[in-house]
Amino acid sequence: MAFNAKKYLEKLRSEALAEAERDGVAIRVSNLTKSFKLPTERAWGLKQAIFNRLRGIKGYKKQVVLSGIDFEVKKGEFLGIVGRNGSGKSTLLKLLAEIYVPDSGKVTVNGSLVPFIELGVGFNPELTGRENIYLNGAMLGFSNREVDKMYNEIVKFAELEDFMDQKLKNYSSGMQVRLAFSIAIRAKGDILVLDEVLAVGDAAFQEKCNNYFASLHGNQTVILVTHDMGNVERFCDRAILIEKGKIVKDGEPKAVADAYRKLWD
Amino acid sequence: MASKRKNMILLSEMVKTDFKLRYQGSVLGYLWAVLRPLLMFAILYVVFAKILRFGGDVPHYPVYLLVGTVLWNFFTECTGMGIHAIEGRGDLIRKLSFPKYIVVVSATSTAVINMLINMVVVTVFALINGVTPSLTWLLVIPLLIELYLLALGISLLLGAIDVKFRDIGSIWEVLMQAMFYAVPIIYPISMVLETSALAAKILLLNPIAQVIQDVRYCLITTETTTSWELLGVKLGLVPIILCVILFILAVWYFRRKAPYFAEEV
Repeated sequence: MAFNAKKYLEKLRSEALAEAERDGVAIRVSNLTKSFKLPTERAWGLKQAIFNRLRGIKGYKKQVVLSGIDFEVKKGEFLGIVGRNGSGKSTLLKLLAEIYVPDSGKVTVNGSLVPFIELGVGFNPELTGRENIYLNGAMLGFSNREVDKMYNEIVKFAELEDFMDQKLKNYSSGMQVRLAFSIAIRAKGDILVLDEVLAVGDAAFQEKCNNYFASLHGNQTVILVTHDMGNVERFCDRAILIEKGKIVKDGEPKAVADAYRKLWD
Repeated sequence: MASKRKNMILLSEMVKTDFKLRYQGSVLGYLWAVLRPLLMFAILYVVFAKILRFGGDVPHYPVYLLVGTVLWNFFTECTGMGIHAIEGRGDLIRKLSFPKYIVVVSATSTAVINMLINMVVVTVFALINGVTPSLTWLLVIPLLIELYLLALGISLLLGAIDVKFRDIGSIWEVLMQAMFYAVPIIYPISMVLETSALAAKILLLNPIAQVIQDVRYCLITTETTTSWELLGVKLGLVPIILCVILFILAVWYFRRKAPYFAEEV
């Protein structure tokens, strides 16, 4: 029985993928719902947990973060996701990246997806810049040999040629982000998912980053989460506005940006 | 499979980093991997072999004692690192999608490397002490694998529980303190046998005791009591079966909980 259920799920998955491929869709999200259990009384230890159980306290309350989310991203599309703090954007991103599992609903990802929930994942302050490039590269799925090949380019783009043998803890925060960003843009995937990573470094470096994003436009499926409406209008083909866990607007970047600004009126 | 390759890259890079960081900033560096058990052995040797004279008629008692300490150290180090692995790597788990067992395996791998180095030291000591090499030495390999499976099983099981109940680490530490005296490391099992055969039998049902006694039997001297000899073939299988059952249970529980680590850790 268990074996059949597994087979059935596999079959459903491959059917969904085939359908997405036929429609030229990179990501299809249907009726997605996610909630978290928020601890009401801190049950951070065994003692509390047992006490709460004895007193009939559940110890958490359920908070719905996203409900009934439906959208598609076409291949090659540059989609912006905007919304206020706590609206559920980052949760949505983590669901797309398969970091969280949904309560119900489905996410179909057609192709390989590279998520940047944060820059420099796994960076270790006790290691040198050089060692961190290899470490962070591994997080993105690059073997040592593959990193060898792009090492010089990464260092050059980050403008950190003289600092590679220093420990990361001696870098300024700007330098760290530059290094992380330079590694991140080497990642190759069918779909890139970026969470507010645009605003890094000084003005000159920003210019470089913006050029990179402009170069992605039209060649790559990108999902970008941001607060910067300027970037939404500049880079995106389409945008989605999320408010209190629901999609309230889906359409032209300009119209969505206007709706976002209206949230404060 | 592309994702399998990515997982292997991630695992090997994490193992390398953990090992590198372990002894960073210390003057003697990796030498500590060998020095620590040797120093611990020296203390135990002075106290138990010279002052309390526990060794009695056990041939090659110093090596006998060293094997016990090395294997016990491996077990405590392995579970100690493994139980806190998920909690300690929360930063990665919250931002990357990858099989979570990788974190536990990489955390325990430093202990495995240390143990292998130490077993080489043990072998050198054995030869110096006049133990004659024999083919039974090869049987040590499956025994070490059994011990690692036990440590890994406990790490997976308690590590998954530790995500929610941080008390687990402290409870385990105390348990290990107690267990140290329940395993024939510093005293020969023959000492227990003299007073109570039943107590000796119960002690040898413990997989850790079984492995330590078997390794001593295969590596150093057949004049020691193993689980097989004392319990018979049928009951002698109990420790091994315990290991297997625990490992299966741990994998089942870990896989059930792993999808929610990202939101709970």
